Amino acid sequence: MKRLFALLLALIAAPAFAQSPSSAVVQTENVRAELLADVSAVKLGEPFWVALRQTIRPKWHTYWKNPGESGLPTEIAWKLPEGAKAGPIVWPRPHLFDIGGIINYGFKDEAVLMVQITPSAKAAGDFKLAAEANWLVCEDVCIPEDAKLALTLPVTATGAPASPATRAIFDKARQQVPMPSPWPAKYGVAKSGDPTVIVEAKGLKADTIRDVYFFPADWGPVASMAKQNAVIGAEGIRIPLRRGDAKAAMPAELMGTLVLTEKAAGGDVQQAFDVAAKLDPAFVPTSSLAAAGGEQLSLVEALLFALLGGLILNLMPCVFPVLAMKAAAFARLAGHERSAMRRDGVAYTLGVLVSFAAMAALVIAIRASVGEVTWGFQFQSPVFSLLIAYLFFVVGLNLSGVFEFSSRFAGIGQGLVARGGTTGAFFTGVLAVIVATPCTVPFMAAAVGFALSQPAPETMAVLLALGLGLALPYLLLAITPALQRLMPRPGPWMDRLRQFLAFPMYASTVWMIWVLTQQTGPDGVIYALGGMILIAFAIWLLRLGSGASAATWMRRGLAAVAVLLAFAAALKLEDGSATAASASGGPAGGVTFDGWERFSRERMNQAVAEGKPVFVDFTAAWCITCLVNERVALETPATRHAFEQAGVVKLKGDWTNRDPEITSLLKELSRAGVPLYLLWVPGAAQPKILPQVLTESLILSELAEIPAKR
Amino acid sequence: MSSFIVPRRTLLLGSAAAAVMPAIAFADSPDIGKPAPLFTAVDSNGKTWSLADLKGKVVVIETTNDGCPYVRKHYSARNMQDQQREAAGQGVVWLTSASSAKGEQGYVTAAQANDLTKSRDAAPAAVLLDPQSKIARAYGATVTPHMYVIDANGTLVYKGGIDSIPSADVADIPKAKQYVRVALREVLAGRQVAEASTRPYGCTLKYPRASS
Repeated sequence: MKRLFALLLALIAAPAFAQSPSSAVVQTENVRAELLADVSAVKLGEPFWVALRQTIRPKWHTYWKNPGESGLPTEIAWKLPEGAKAGPIVWPRPHLFDIGGIINYGFKDEAVLMVQITPSAKAAGDFKLAAEANWLVCEDVCIPEDAKLALTLPVTATGAPASPATRAIFDKARQQVPMPSPWPAKYGVAKSGDPTVIVEAKGLKADTIRDVYFFPADWGPVASMAKQNAVIGAEGIRIPLRRGDAKAAMPAELMGTLVLTEKAAGGDVQQAFDVAAKLDPAFVPTSSLAAAGGEQLSLVEALLFALLGGLILNLMPCVFPVLAMKAAAFARLAGHERSAMRRDGVAYTLGVLVSFAAMAALVIAIRASVGEVTWGFQFQSPVFSLLIAYLFFVVGLNLSGVFEFSSRFAGIGQGLVARGGTTGAFFTGVLAVIVATPCTVPFMAAAVGFALSQPAPETMAVLLALGLGLALPYLLLAITPALQRLMPRPGPWMDRLRQFLAFPMYASTVWMIWVLTQQTGPDGVIYALGGMILIAFAIWLLRLGSGASAATWMRRGLAAVAVLLAFAAALKLEDGSATAASASGGPAGGVTFDGWERFSRERMNQAVAEGKPVFVDFTAAWCITCLVNERVALETPATRHAFEQAGVVKLKGDWTNRDPEITSLLKELSRAGVPLYLLWVPGAAQPKILPQVLTESLILSELAEIPAKR
Repeated sequence: MSSFIVPRRTLLLGSAAAAVMPAIAFADSPDIGKPAPLFTAVDSNGKTWSLADLKGKVVVIETTNDGCPYVRKHYSARNMQDQQREAAGQGVVWLTSASSAKGEQGYVTAAQANDLTKSRDAAPAAVLLDPQSKIARAYGATVTPHMYVIDANGTLVYKGGIDSIPSADVADIPKAKQYVRVALREVLAGRQVAEASTRPYGCTLKYPRASS
């Protein structure tokens, strides 16, 4: 019955084709195929576009150039007038279909496959195109279909564009074609053979981008079956993949189409980029969980990992100094009551857990307000680095025996840490967590990444498991008498050990200063070392004499001044780094102003008052949609020319760092963010707000409506 | 100082990752050069076949679905039957696996399977009834026909398509490189299979629906 219907349609279509010179339609059982051209008359020698438009039966699909684990791509064989050439199919961005676990790449509802035709410079008569197309169309079952399509176009001296309706189809189709990736990409192969692609789109915001998928262009190097868990981080978009079934060596360039969805100001926008990732032999990805498992980490696994990770954290150089202190404290406790040991162990564990809980709460709070947080974020602050360097230094001095903490010191962090007893143990735990976090970044990436992307209770649970792992060895030692018996007896060695442990502490100080210089440049060394001299001086002052004499008070005053000065260095650093960052133009790959003026409200109002047309582009380095709009619509030769012709004042507002002036304007227009495009037509009281996804034709037609320059 | 931290960390994570690797819902296709996954199945005549019992013989597995145009392509041109006969003549055990789930295209009862063999003049050693797609799943089959060759030691030596031109057009068969035939020739000559993993093509294998 269906076949009969299809046959009837084909019969109807055939005469229709004969009447219409501009299109040919064939209706198969599952697809309506139509051949279209973006010209109504051909100019010899000038390339034009044709398209095979498949209107696919609902719920059925045809295939992309790489069909995935099954299926076949649509093929078109051309018969053209002599000397004419047909280019390859320019494929729209694919969709992913999961058919009972088998992954296919293709199109549903409609696919417009464009091909560029280049006619020869001389030819006689009409331009006749014939295409034999075949495709596989599947729902649950697959049916190979084919169609013979033909199109005859007149040849004229100037050529002529197609009807607006047809041009609209091509415009829409062009929007579906992936654009060349604006970012370089590389890929590496793990020891397991699994490739990982990194698209070096730096400075993106992880929380605004989702549904990232890399469609490999070919069968073989990449398994389309495995789930992909792309991660957006400082290095860009990292996509761990699974090696495919081809036995051949991995290609020098891994080709594919990256599709992602960005949460833009006015709603979600899907973007697609053609990526050619170069093989980087130096980049050997670790089998991160995402790559190894090809599956999302479950909560239980994440907890287990976090616990294990916490344990291993004890071996990390950044935690080592804290453990050194812990060991010193332990040695002091050796031979004490078991209950004291137990109290100490429990207090330390509590310190660790409370800090992790606090950190988790902070992460959750920041995520709720800013919507973005990276682990180890506190180490991005130079002030924090400096304070930690001071802390390491003071603890080192203490271990060296330069001074002993007295109860007077209580109240400052390090005083608490070094103080004996339960409080001291608790704060040692706190300190351990603070210094351990930078170590967790690459190491615990999977578990922490999981934690940060989960709802609040899971975040909390995973971070607490991490903390428990960190505290576990010490806790076990403290509560297990059998283990304690292995500890040596107290004696003079304890002092020597303590003095020795000062050196790893100093080493950590050096490391923290190095971290600091990474954030501030060489100036940081001056402030940090100067601050340390002041602190050492203050300690020396305080150790002179005792009692409440006037001299003592003076010394105390001086010491306080010295310490204040040391901390003032921190404020100075904050200043310096901020200006350094803004002077260097903010994040890498930032907003460029070539041909644009920097936006200010004053400049905008002035230009509007002068009766000039004004175009305002609010953008940000991390906004992919903004970038794409610039490439496809705002910075094309045609639009540049049109802007110039219309005498438009082009203003660009960079919202990368949430400039307050722009923020207030966005608020007035009740916009949550960028992209935002305003066009002030001369004489209008209000700017016209353009859509957030721009096309060249849209900009051109908007500009065409501006009255000509006086 | 921070740079030397990395390798050890990676090493530790690597081992940790191996320890807790999550199970995957869908079996990966087994690797060439590794033992072929064992299976036991009943054929259309009620006979039980176990891959373990076939040690010492070269085995071909062909997934099938008689409604699939690509399966039909190779049966209507007698390509599949010819290769089945050639294989039998060389002592190769050719197992056709009807792996479509019940209710799906290509699902057959024992009687239907035998009728098909007769009407198509096919000559496999057996048609295995695999309505739960167990064999297909173990081998990571994604299409029909998806072809596998197992050597006399039970090692998987070929997986992929029946030939090199993925199309539904019968006219392409003489032009295509018949991968399975070539692989069998190499295996029987004691040589390594040169093209051991090729792109399979055909209809999506009809696995049982997740809901059932």
